[in-house]
Amino acid sequence: MNLNQINKKLNARFHGAVRAKLSGGCIILSGELPTWQDTVEACQLAATKYSSTHVVNDIVCREVKSLPMRTPKLQDSALDGRKPDILIIGGGISGVSIARELSKWKLDILLVEKEADLALQASGRNDGEVHPGIDLSKGSKKHYYIRKGNAMFDEICRELDVPFRRVGQYVCFNKGFAKPLVYLYCLYRKKHSGISDTKLISGTELKRIEPNFAEEFKFAISNPSSGCVCPYGLTIAYAENAVQNGVEIALNTAVLDMEVENGEIKSVKTNRGVVYPKLVISAAGVFAEDIAKMANDRFFSIHPRRGTNSILDKKAGAYMHSIASVKDLTVSKTHSKGGGILHTVHNNLLIGPDAVETYEKENTETHKESIEAVFSKQKRTMPKLSERDIITYFTGVRAPTFEEDFIIESGRKTKNLIHCAGIQSPGLTTAPAVALDIEKMAVQMLRRVQTVEKNPNFSPIRHGVPVLKDMNDKQRAEMIRKNPDYGVIVCRCEEISKGEILDALRSPICVPTVDGIKKRIRPGMGRCQGGFCSPLVTQIIADFLGVPLSEVKKSSADSAITFGRTK
Amino acid sequence: MNELVCIVCPKGCTMHIEQENGAYKVSGNTCKRGAQFAISEMTEPKRTICTTVRTVFSQAPVLPVRVSAEIPKDKIFDVMREINSIIVKNPVRRGDVLLKDVLNLGADIIATSDLLRQVEK
Amino acid sequence: MQNYDVLVIGGGPAGLAAAIAAHKNGAKTLLVEREARLGGILKQCIHDGFGLVRFQEKLSGPEYAERFIDEFHKLNLEAKTLTFVTRLEKNASGFSAVLVNRDGVETVTAKALILATGCRERTAKQVNIHGTRPAGVFTAGTAQHFTNLLGELPTKKCVILGSGDIGLIMARRLTLEGAKVLGVYEAKSTPSGLTRNIHQCLHDYDIPLYLSHTVTRVFGADRLTAVEIAEVDDKMQPISGTEQILECDALILSVGLIPENELAETLDVQLDPKTKGPVCNAQLMTSVSGIFSCGNALHVNDLVDYVSESGEIAGENAAKYVKAERKEIPVKAGSRLLYAVPQKLDLNSDNQKTVLYFRSRDILNGCTFKITVDGKTVFSKKYPFLRPPEMEKLQIDFSQYQLSENSEIQLDIEVKSDE
Repeated sequence: MNLNQINKKLNARFHGAVRAKLSGGCIILSGELPTWQDTVEACQLAATKYSSTHVVNDIVCREVKSLPMRTPKLQDSALDGRKPDILIIGGGISGVSIARELSKWKLDILLVEKEADLALQASGRNDGEVHPGIDLSKGSKKHYYIRKGNAMFDEICRELDVPFRRVGQYVCFNKGFAKPLVYLYCLYRKKHSGISDTKLISGTELKRIEPNFAEEFKFAISNPSSGCVCPYGLTIAYAENAVQNGVEIALNTAVLDMEVENGEIKSVKTNRGVVYPKLVISAAGVFAEDIAKMANDRFFSIHPRRGTNSILDKKAGAYMHSIASVKDLTVSKTHSKGGGILHTVHNNLLIGPDAVETYEKENTETHKESIEAVFSKQKRTMPKLSERDIITYFTGVRAPTFEEDFIIESGRKTKNLIHCAGIQSPGLTTAPAVALDIEKMAVQMLRRVQTVEKNPNFSPIRHGVPVLKDMNDKQRAEMIRKNPDYGVIVCRCEEISKGEILDALRSPICVPTVDGIKKRIRPGMGRCQGGFCSPLVTQIIADFLGVPLSEVKKSSADSAITFGRTK
Repeated sequence: MNELVCIVCPKGCTMHIEQENGAYKVSGNTCKRGAQFAISEMTEPKRTICTTVRTVFSQAPVLPVRVSAEIPKDKIFDVMREINSIIVKNPVRRGDVLLKDVLNLGADIIATSDLLRQVEK
Repeated sequence: MQNYDVLVIGGGPAGLAAAIAAHKNGAKTLLVEREARLGGILKQCIHDGFGLVRFQEKLSGPEYAERFIDEFHKLNLEAKTLTFVTRLEKNASGFSAVLVNRDGVETVTAKALILATGCRERTAKQVNIHGTRPAGVFTAGTAQHFTNLLGELPTKKCVILGSGDIGLIMARRLTLEGAKVLGVYEAKSTPSGLTRNIHQCLHDYDIPLYLSHTVTRVFGADRLTAVEIAEVDDKMQPISGTEQILECDALILSVGLIPENELAETLDVQLDPKTKGPVCNAQLMTSVSGIFSCGNALHVNDLVDYVSESGEIAGENAAKYVKAERKEIPVKAGSRLLYAVPQKLDLNSDNQKTVLYFRSRDILNGCTFKITVDGKTVFSKKYPFLRPPEMEKLQIDFSQYQLSENSEIQLDIEVKSDE
């Protein structure tokens, strides 16, 4: 599509309110539109899927209120004057996996994350599916990384002591006549796109595997390489391994500005002082465009897209044991998949997510309508699903570009910068493979200015907190003999002991908050949602830190749980 | 005529009180205590307070207490202030008096648990 | 491996009464409690009003519980506290339970099990509350734990959703401790808690009660900053246009209790979808021979006195339990009843003093509770009113009705206006 064609389309739709121009190798859209929905539509009109000529959104949208990035309360100079070889921005799955791979080298690496913990945004708010890549076309970065990433999961999860199961994915069809067409599609994906294990199975076969699925399914695409992992568990595990290998992770640390001179980032301003890195890697999720702008290297735009997932009681976990979705044969307008049902590694069911365009990058509120929409769709796959089994729900915000592909490349104008941007589904699956490539790029770039040697002390092995409830009685008794606190059950839904909570508090990245402990070892994740254990966990944290109970937070500095003594 | 709900027991009877020549006539009650309650509500309403007091024991930072007899309803927050100034330093028993005759109201503040007997300082 | 006749799981009022009764009836009994202290939820229920039926006294929760705890210790009964049952198995000679505590992992066996596991509270997400996930959303029981056991104030200014008894009690409790309770909001058109609690907890402290209102959203990225309130229609759905935002720092939920029967389910104990507790006979034995249920795990009670009583029934019968064949017939509850317990009678057991509990489905005035056997009225009792929050209890001698395996026992409520 050339510029004339784009402008013709834009004129036809927006009557001159929006113009496109080519500048610096990107398509820059300007003008003024009333709603965010219009703005997204205009940019999508101008964008070519998977293209490296990106749409940059400079349209003034009258609906959009200026929403400054939420920054941590913390203000100190702990990092002031730090001169790391590499500064990684963002403690999501991308940032931490890059940090871990780079820790194989003798380098000074600093990773900053503005939230109070890792994986607090998209990486902790997705469904944890390890995708097969059946829906991805050759030529995209997503496709380039998906099979590599997927294949790495067994080893990575073994090294990092993270539960992972290849449970298989079923895309279910209720129209028998579509079978020949879908067969050809699968064959094409198999031969051309390299999805070697994809196959069709009959309705009878599907019924045998998942007896609670809808009766009317005639056949399904089966993707045995699909799996599930705990997305924040994997993120934290990567980060802990990085820290063990020498990476410094600074939480509650936001990048506020950069000083760029002659196409080079000279310094990076944070709420904890000014840092002088040789190389900057941006893995900033929904803020990737903002970081690019600070670095004088903005050549793409992010349009946030939120999605809500529900978690169902473990009792419902027994209804099915895989990942499933229903496929309509109409053309879908949304870009990400319309959600599905997933049996999680912790044996809950996860339902969702939906996909809603939004300009609010950090609004993770949930809405009744999202739950209703997702359930009404997913009940078609499994009629037994019931909203009554919901124990919690959450919203995450994806960070796609208008080309709906990843950006994995060095700065176009700024030399000492690598972008890891536009990461959305299947970004969790691709992360291990992307991290290896960015590791190579970074080492190559640094070698231009210094020697880079192997880290002789690197160990790929990380041990998580032991999970006592998964042990046999003998192992468990032996653990308790060594540490009696392992015998004191604090969270009865998930069977978590005081010993495990203390282990989490002593782990390489201590986040002594109720949510920090919950994310690491799950007290409060069960059906009572912390009703029984949250006062106990709060007390254990207070005792560990030696502070009054009212100093313990749920998550951020302003999320106090109690207001001090009653008397 | 006044209508009120009895709080003496969980039945929660709805009672009616009429004043006749300075005497009260109660109807709708199903027991004697209900009638007594109704009259006291009309003359001097009384209530019990159950709350906690501070202790010096870290494993039991507060100890449950109550008043040994009902106190006038309008004195509740005054009595609360007195109770909140108590700090228990010894492992008292259930029933032990922590504060005698609070505000000269004829009621003591008593411990309602043996909790402190089970914890160490 | 230690062998017992009766294993009681749960050391709250039901479990304590059950263990004492089992022991008194000659059973070698062990009680297992996951918390450090016996007493269950009563430890934090420091308000009074317990024991009126049983002791004709107004006791606080700890006082009531400690009377049983004292007796328990006086009888030299064995309890394992800070001990968690991680697994139950049924075998030819009875049951085995795997216990986890500071001493390690231990298996004990018992000929009969009493499940006195209490209940848990419904959570915000189970009543469709949306918005952010800030600090400051508590169930009433959690807020009570912070306030009464840890001496910490969970709120300075809050909204309470649900007029269940714990919510009402907490409204008063927090007010006494200096917090401002903006109001208690109830989605139903009638209160859920006892009438007297509406009066002594809300009216006494000028706390407003809003019926047919609910909380739909919470706000605040860190600590809760406000909630959205909406009126609801008769199907309890929020009416759009009635929303209002209330600034506060906490939302406290008292939106119902769910009997805890996850352990029971691992042994395939049949549950009643209405009570959410096990289907039991008059001896409080569940569908699995040798497993008994009592207290709030059986069904949610309004008074602890009944909890203790059911514990005693279960304890006594567990001790007497012999692996005899049962001959059970159903006790059917009519449509005006919310539910009735027991749901079955065992004709091989002594049914002379059968304790019957029931609740009406709606608020009814001038009504008669009737028991019919094969269509013939064998018992009736008049009630000036029946209200769903208030449980009714009767003792019936079912042995006098010449019950056979084909007998049909039906419970109904008749209202004057029926005639």
